Amino acid sequence: MTTTAAESTDQAESALLDQHKQFLSETKPAGALLSLNEAAIQRFEVLKFPYRKHEMYTFVNTKDIAAAPYVFSYGASVSEDFVRKHVYADCEKSVLILVDGVYRENLSDISNASIRLLPIAEALSQPDIKSYLASTIANENDVFACINSAFLNHGLMIDVPEKAQSDSPLQILHVSTGSPAGKVTTLPRVLVRLGRMAELKLIVKYAGVQGNYFVNSVLDVLAGEDAGVQFTQIQQDDRNAWHCSKTRIALSRNSRFYASNASYGSKLTRHHYEAHLKETGAELRLNGVSVLTGAEQVHNFVRIHHEAPHCVSNQQFKNIVNDHSRSSIDGTVIVNQGAQLTVSDQLINNLMLSDNAHADNKPNLMIFADDVKCTHGATIGQINEDQLFYLKTRGLSTKVAKELLTKSFAESIIQTIAFPAVVEDLENTLLKKLEA
Amino acid sequence: MLEIKDLRAGFEGTEIVKGISLSVKKGEVHAIMGPNGSGKSTLAKILAGHPSYEVMSGQVTLDGKNLLEMEPEKRALEGVFMGFQYPVEIPGVNNAEFLRMAYNAKRIHEGQEELDPLDFDELLTEKMKILGMEQKYKDRSLNDGFSGGEKKKNEILQMAILEPKLGVLDETDSGLDIDALRVVANGVNKLRNENNALILITHYQRLLEYIQPDFVHVLSKGKIIKSGEKGLALELEAQGYDWLTATH
Repeated sequence: MTTTAAESTDQAESALLDQHKQFLSETKPAGALLSLNEAAIQRFEVLKFPYRKHEMYTFVNTKDIAAAPYVFSYGASVSEDFVRKHVYADCEKSVLILVDGVYRENLSDISNASIRLLPIAEALSQPDIKSYLASTIANENDVFACINSAFLNHGLMIDVPEKAQSDSPLQILHVSTGSPAGKVTTLPRVLVRLGRMAELKLIVKYAGVQGNYFVNSVLDVLAGEDAGVQFTQIQQDDRNAWHCSKTRIALSRNSRFYASNASYGSKLTRHHYEAHLKETGAELRLNGVSVLTGAEQVHNFVRIHHEAPHCVSNQQFKNIVNDHSRSSIDGTVIVNQGAQLTVSDQLINNLMLSDNAHADNKPNLMIFADDVKCTHGATIGQINEDQLFYLKTRGLSTKVAKELLTKSFAESIIQTIAFPAVVEDLENTLLKKLEA
Repeated sequence: MLEIKDLRAGFEGTEIVKGISLSVKKGEVHAIMGPNGSGKSTLAKILAGHPSYEVMSGQVTLDGKNLLEMEPEKRALEGVFMGFQYPVEIPGVNNAEFLRMAYNAKRIHEGQEELDPLDFDELLTEKMKILGMEQKYKDRSLNDGFSGGEKKKNEILQMAILEPKLGVLDETDSGLDIDALRVVANGVNKLRNENNALILITHYQRLLEYIQPDFVHVLSKGKIIKSGEKGLALELEAQGYDWLTATH
């Protein structure tokens, strides 16, 4: 007897509910953490696993990851060499290592970082954190982020005190150990809170020791008044991995969040950015570049909420797709009623290097205020023949000229990354993917 | 050096160059003038090997080698330089790095070793001074956001670095103010020597006040209708093209 898609989805959902009961009885969360876990699983029951035509997953086939029961992994051993290889220069004394979502103090070093660390279970005793996380669950629309909260146990909170500043960037390295056999799932969870006028340079990197894992990560960033974050996320998972990460950003008055992200792709990689410009003067920049070959996929899902006047948001995404890889960008900027004098730009450029590659784009604006300046656009193109000819007339071979042009396409995003060590790394690894 | 024999060429099946023959020797400067649409730029693109233009018949040789069967990059390595009328902008490609790549491609072709970045920087600095170019253009993306004059200077800078046998400058003077024109012309003059040659394609006589040609050819409807020495350019300036084209 064959089962229909709906039946198998139902089965996966009930399997997850059973698994959650088991999780609660094993980890015995108490107090605020228990309420959070329970609220999240109830939210999951409302959201359910995405069906094929779900509005949030139009371009993404979630079949492989919407398949409970999950086999959770909480950190097998990992070699120190592997970890060191992925820690950037300048970050040696300012790095947090999470292996399969679990913080490893012995591998980490934060002697140079002006931060305070605490387990999320403890952070939940603070009323503002508790109410913030409760509100995120009530409004959660991403089922995978919801699962992260339902099984939240090992999360970490990073507190950047008022006016704190640090010259060296803080790196969070998420190592997935993977599995030689069946797929394992990990649930990294980090919450960053910046006090008034605090500044943070933050590099988040995902790396995998071997394939066969689903990393389902959530990062919350709460920026206080006048706080600033320089952010870079590097997704460099194993090719044979699934990656979902949700980055939720809440910006207070005059705070800034500048992000430039890079993705290497994997079997399935989906980034969900949810930003709330809550108070006047907040500013968001969200840049992203992905370079995909083979059957790799990267999908970006962006929702930016302008909730107050005089806020600025700027997005630029560039994707290079070769072979039969796939990318998509589904981005909406929502300008609430009353968010007057909003300035918002969104630009998506795709470079197709193969007839079998696929790029979907859905730039979107929803404007409920009447005095705003918003732009959006998307382009899909091949290598520019005039540029190619120009370079060839200077003696460069077709191969070298094409490489130069594809690299330059990505370079304009990479150059917006504020960390020279990361830029160098991307030029030596991400851009090398373009060399045949 | 360059021999063009009865060249017929065009674009998407339409013949634009309708039988041109031209012989350019070492040390010579030839000006090709003519009204808009006469086929001047098409001739330049054919010489550079633009893929959208097709040669219907005729021959073009450079020092006896068949130019028409070479890819654009091969022509460049053999010593043909095309100065574009509209140089393309390539954001993300560093100007100095690009120049070094082009320079080293040529050195490798000539069996020399690549020049390392420091030595190249010295060479570049010196050449930029000749053209009165600010050093900041090293760090900019190739032609990206350059003004019209800066783009043309950057073309001549590339020619100065690559030291071609034959430079084909397509309307290098258009869009330049008189000061920029002087600087560009001065740069071109410094590059002239007895072993190289230049073809200047221009609509106006103005450029030829600064770069003295040995020969002037008038192109109309795809044919050279008159050739002469530099005095011909002055006649054209005084009388326009009509007195020539009317009879052809």
